[in-house]
Amino acid sequence: MTKALPSKSLVLYADDDNDDIELVRELFADFEAVVKLVTFPNGKALLEYITLLPPLLPQPSLVILDINMPVQDGLHTLKALRQLDDMQHVPVVLFTTSNMPHEESVAKSLGAGFITKPVYADQLHQIVDQMLHYCHDDFKKKIERHRGR
Amino acid sequence: MTKKVTSLSDFNELSQQQQYSLLHSDGVYVGKRKEGGQTVILFQLYAFYVEVRYRLYRQEIDFLTLSDQMDILEPYIDQIQVRDLNTGATGEE
Repeated sequence: MTKALPSKSLVLYADDDNDDIELVRELFADFEAVVKLVTFPNGKALLEYITLLPPLLPQPSLVILDINMPVQDGLHTLKALRQLDDMQHVPVVLFTTSNMPHEESVAKSLGAGFITKPVYADQLHQIVDQMLHYCHDDFKKKIERHRGR
Repeated sequence: MTKKVTSLSDFNELSQQQQYSLLHSDGVYVGKRKEGGQTVILFQLYAFYVEVRYRLYRQEIDFLTLSDQMDILEPYIDQIQVRDLNTGATGEE
């Protein structure tokens, strides 16, 4: 009897800060059996990756965007992403260093979440759950199953 | 009710936990630098600045440096964007 391995969910993350990329890699390392995290140095590279995804593959389960990046920033990337076919409902979180009300309201108007990067460990440990809050139920359940909840 | 923080001395009276929470909710990122193998991030908080020196990036804080003097900005000048000078706001990373 053969058993199909569950496919990994795709999480995309664009940030020009290598320290933050490394931090998020560490956060998602706990889920590497069920999540494939792909990182990009800016929003343009992330959008190019999305447009090259084979059409029959599942959509990304989560897109994480830093706001201030070179080449294409997070807000412009979010706007461009929402204009792509089938990307209107993909969960997106803006992951930023400052809590800026204007940017938060733009994110909200485009159906994206807004999470401030942590200052210290207690806040860091809540980040995955905060991101999951914006995700679809099937992805949430997959992560929770993996955690053994 | 928690006392509203308006000055550097008010901030100094808070517990460590309260200081970190306030930085997270109200701090405006100015810039980041490396020094002696440590990562240092400068935030503007109301009318003063808080420099966070990490033992472990975004996890363990070594210590905070507080200042209401502009010279604390000097190591970050190249990261402060032109738009921020126009609006009086500091940068978002």
